[in-house]
Amino acid sequence: MALQALGPRVWPRLSQFKPPVLRIPGSETLYVKSRHWLGQSQPQGPGLRTRLLITALFGAGLGWAWLAARAEKEQWRQQQRMEALRQAAVGQGDFSLLDHKGQPRCKADFRGQWVLMYFGFTHCPDICPDELEKLVQVVQKLEAEPDLPLVQPVFITVDPERDDVAAMARYVQDFHPRLLGLTGSKEQVAQASQNYRVYYSAGPKDEDQDYIVDHSIAIYLLNPDGLFTDYYGRSRSAEQIVDSVRQHIAAFRSILS
Amino acid sequence: MAAPSMKERQVCWGARDLYWRCLDDNAEDAARCRQLRSSFEASCPQQWIKYFDKRRDYLKFKEKFEAGEFQPSQSTENS
Repeated sequence: MALQALGPRVWPRLSQFKPPVLRIPGSETLYVKSRHWLGQSQPQGPGLRTRLLITALFGAGLGWAWLAARAEKEQWRQQQRMEALRQAAVGQGDFSLLDHKGQPRCKADFRGQWVLMYFGFTHCPDICPDELEKLVQVVQKLEAEPDLPLVQPVFITVDPERDDVAAMARYVQDFHPRLLGLTGSKEQVAQASQNYRVYYSAGPKDEDQDYIVDHSIAIYLLNPDGLFTDYYGRSRSAEQIVDSVRQHIAAFRSILS
Repeated sequence: MAAPSMKERQVCWGARDLYWRCLDDNAEDAARCRQLRSSFEASCPQQWIKYFDKRRDYLKFKEKFEAGEFQPSQSTENS
């Protein structure tokens, strides 16, 4: 370099100079190491490193603040959802019906239990018996597992005109000892069906006043909080339903104290 | 009129299955299966017989449809 070219006579005089100083606003003063003076080329070592460090710390701080704000928003949203679910658990899907022993029942009576519910009618040619058989198979398979809670099977009629308490009692006994039949007045059944979005429509009567009721076919799963959790159509086998119910039971966290 | 019990249902379904098997074996020739038809009609409520007849029609139609018997006609293809 030029300094060296000046030769040894210049060197002692130059050595009295103080080493150059780097000032960065807002931070402490940095001294370039004396090695630079000796003419060895150095990258802007500590200066750049420190600047990168400060930038990284600042970025990390911003990132942390953003994550914290996001977590807080998520928590608030979760709380809102829990509140809405709590209200739904009490009010939604309620029914006021008579069981096949003549006792009045409403949804709150099943709090704390898993419920598998099916809507049908006793004069049904084949679909209701098939679906109820499937439902009972599911309940029996789940009963066989000792660490699972008992699931309550429920059958609700969509034909209140013919399916009174006695008819329901005769019907359910053929399936499972714990199968509970529910019936009521036309208004009560209409209310219950509406709450579960079940369609039903009585067909034309024939000569012996017999008729078939067209209705939506689904097995509904309610959790112990009384909330609608899942539904199973005709295409699902008993095994598939058992797997699904088992998963729901494992994942369940109560929102009602 | 009380609903059929489980036993009565199973009798009805058995009679229906026999009748339907006869129809399957005889290419839907109802004349050959008249005896099974009358035992079927005796075992099941009238509404159910109508229902099962409609169901059979539907199942046969579905078989034909899935076999590809119903194709869009040439004349309507470009309309």
